[in-house]
Amino acid sequence: MQKNALNILLADDDEDDRLFFKDAFEEIKIQTKVQFVHDGMQLMDHLMDPENKLPDILFLDLNMPKKTGKECLIEIKKTDRLKNIIIAIYSTSSSEEDIEDTFVQGANIYIKKPSDFNTLKKIINEVVTVNWHYHTSGLNRDNFLLRLK
Amino acid sequence: MKWIPNFNSSNSLRVIFVIAVFILLFLSSIAYKHNQDLNESSKLAMHTYEINLQLERLMSAIKDAETGQRGYIITRNNRFLSPYLYSRDKVNASFVTLKKLTVDNAVQQKNLENLFKLIIQRFVSFENCLKYSDPKTYDKRKLDNHMFGGRILMENIRFQVDKMNDIERKYLKKRLEIYDQEISLSPVFSISLFLTALVFILLAYRQISRDFQRLKVFNKRLLISSGLMDESEIIGKFSTWQWDLDANKIDYSDNQFRLLGVPPNSFVPVKETFLDFVHSDDKQEVSKSMDAIIEKKNLPFIYYKIVRPNNEIRYFKSTGKLLTDQQGSKILLGINFDITDEHLLNIELQERNKELEKSNKELASFNHVASHDLQEPLRKIQTFISRVSEADKAVMSESGRDYISKIAVSAKRMRVLIDDLLLFSRTNTTKKEFIKSNLNELLQNAESELTEVIHEKKAIINASKLPKLEVIPYQIEQLFINLIGNSLKYNRAGVAPEISIESEKVVSTDYPDLLEQSVKKFYKITFRDNGMGFDPQFKETIFILFQRLHSKTDYPGTGIGLAICKKIVENHKGHILADSTQNVGSTFTVFLPE
Amino acid sequence: MKLFIKFDINTICSLYLKQNLEEQNINFKTLGFGEIEIEDNLDVEALEALKENLAPRGFEVVENQKSVLVQKIKDAIIELVFLEDSNNYKSSVFLAEKLNHSYGYLSNVFSEVTYSSIENFIILQKIERAKQLIIINEMSLTEIAFLLNYSSVAHLSTQFKNTTGITPSAFQRIIKKRRENLK
Repeated sequence: MQKNALNILLADDDEDDRLFFKDAFEEIKIQTKVQFVHDGMQLMDHLMDPENKLPDILFLDLNMPKKTGKECLIEIKKTDRLKNIIIAIYSTSSSEEDIEDTFVQGANIYIKKPSDFNTLKKIINEVVTVNWHYHTSGLNRDNFLLRLK
Repeated sequence: MKWIPNFNSSNSLRVIFVIAVFILLFLSSIAYKHNQDLNESSKLAMHTYEINLQLERLMSAIKDAETGQRGYIITRNNRFLSPYLYSRDKVNASFVTLKKLTVDNAVQQKNLENLFKLIIQRFVSFENCLKYSDPKTYDKRKLDNHMFGGRILMENIRFQVDKMNDIERKYLKKRLEIYDQEISLSPVFSISLFLTALVFILLAYRQISRDFQRLKVFNKRLLISSGLMDESEIIGKFSTWQWDLDANKIDYSDNQFRLLGVPPNSFVPVKETFLDFVHSDDKQEVSKSMDAIIEKKNLPFIYYKIVRPNNEIRYFKSTGKLLTDQQGSKILLGINFDITDEHLLNIELQERNKELEKSNKELASFNHVASHDLQEPLRKIQTFISRVSEADKAVMSESGRDYISKIAVSAKRMRVLIDDLLLFSRTNTTKKEFIKSNLNELLQNAESELTEVIHEKKAIINASKLPKLEVIPYQIEQLFINLIGNSLKYNRAGVAPEISIESEKVVSTDYPDLLEQSVKKFYKITFRDNGMGFDPQFKETIFILFQRLHSKTDYPGTGIGLAICKKIVENHKGHILADSTQNVGSTFTVFLPE
Repeated sequence: MKLFIKFDINTICSLYLKQNLEEQNINFKTLGFGEIEIEDNLDVEALEALKENLAPRGFEVVENQKSVLVQKIKDAIIELVFLEDSNNYKSSVFLAEKLNHSYGYLSNVFSEVTYSSIENFIILQKIERAKQLIIINEMSLTEIAFLLNYSSVAHLSTQFKNTTGITPSAFQRIIKKRRENLK
């Protein structure tokens, strides 16, 4: 399907969530390379470091210490080098208005953290698949909006 | 009297007055003329009778002479001559008088001359008689002749006198006739004029007395008004003042003094003494605006504090307006309000408000944070449970497996509860952004949320056209989801749920107890289902938070759903009602303002 | 001054490819979107060089036959969806005729390579087009639904929501707010 593995980056301060995430990615068919950061500042440092390859998809938790997910989102979208990264907000339940607001701020995907492992697998599978379609079929990234519950 | 033209009172009075005066003048001129004529006619009569008299005197004088002459002739006594001698004088006197009296009448003058001639002749005859009766010169024949002649002359004289009298009488008669003619009209004319004048005067009287009545009424009203004003000033805690800008004189109403804490009329109001009452903080401001009054001719609202003689501080609000009266003099009318009570109340309200807001905010964050933060550990529990694979379960004891599934069930229940609580707290705390939305779209979204259940229960939803309203879209969507969800959940066993949704426009006056009367029109949206219904005695309690009509094992639910619906509807200033017939169906009615 | 410029990816890519190949002095002929025939035969090195040259710009030389077919299927679907009078065509028929294979075969190859189905891809493209139309903002949802061959606005909304997770109206709102933010 694709030549190289997909570069995935997850920013989440919760150890258990990182574990779930890692396990889920291991069990899907598509080839991926998953990296983790623990908080907002670490995330920005990682992204701004020219040594680091930019992720294909960034999964971003909103509730993080030091710098919140929303702050990171706004900052990323303002940075020329980073603004084309596909960003998936990965968060616990938020109000409808907050969800819409993340889209307005430039997020491409919104995922509500599921409480079932299989559901998580399904979700990330769909995210990666859809993302790949966008990647390969000339679809407009600016219009890439996806919401998964 | 309808033919009287409709002047206003003072004009009509003037007109009446002028007319009456004219009439009176006219009448008096007529009376004067009348008088004159009467004078004239009586003078004329006098004149005639004067002439008559003189003529008779003349005759009498001559007769006296004759008698004297006869007496002398008979007796030759000198005593009989004196009348004869006096008579000559009398005749002359009368003649002179007559000449004067007839000076305007040429004819009579002529007659008089003739008469004079005759009289002279007679006297001559007298002389002759005397001469010829004198024994010395006695001549009987000549005496008889002269005596006889004298008698004829007497007759001629008589005749002439009569003639003259006749003429005078005729003359008089003619003049009197003329006067009569003139006079005969006057009384009728005068009386009619008099009556007219009388009528006008009566009208004037009527008008005056009416005006007077009205004045009395107005006066009374003014007095009452004035009394009311004083009372209302006292009760309403305001006062008025007048500042005559031209005369620089200030008048305070009684209450103005009282509001300042002094008895009425205890000092003469001038600008400076007022400033003495003003609190030091506001003195400059008030003084400035008082100066501005003279410049700008009005006083916009000004708020300040005053200090009463007993050191009590009161809060005042004043305003003034310039009035120019009919003479052009300018008076500034001012009103002062003692707003101390309201002010203090306001401050108290504001404090309470702040406290409430703070308390609310705290509660809201508590709600939100509690629900939100409770989710995290719960989610973990559920996720880890889901990680326990079949393989792991296979090596557990049966009770172990059982416990795991019970944990899963409880966790699920807790999740539902927290979700609903979170939703409930959100309907309160999110900022209320009203957007004009098509309710049909929101209904569609709600239906698509419930697609699975609808499909599973083979439910049918019929909706009539819903309006476009200014709403919080997410909340209305949630409202629809909850109501339809309920209808789907509580269907009759074995009966596919049928839900019909209808909308109609209503006026708030039809539902005075339910609806906000400040909004005129509402949309009434009814959700009817054919589910199991509920006992209508609970139709109000089901909206209470955590109230349920079934146990959680029979029908899973948290008791928050309808409370959320009620909150949402309240956020929109609407109302929600429920009714039902058991085993037939339920109806939920939602009122939303237009 | 703000301008909304719609660009046609096909044109851009073809132009760029052409430029690039000309720079490398490779003679070629374009056969269709994505397909070129090179006059000369390239040896392995030259082929690698070509690939390396094209790779940074996102061009990939597709070697695998099946991948080629899948790419063609995708192109055909895009053409179908973005065609003006696409209402007249049934997609399976269209694809079978255009690519000269049975629909069943095409379907299998597609799923094998992409791990998702043709139907899904068609839906994805249709929704993508709907998004474009919504952004241009000159058509109502009803008109868009009609143009894209949906039986009703509700049908379009449902599919839109199923694909993207949000409603068309929410999408409209978000795009509008994004634009306002840029001001």
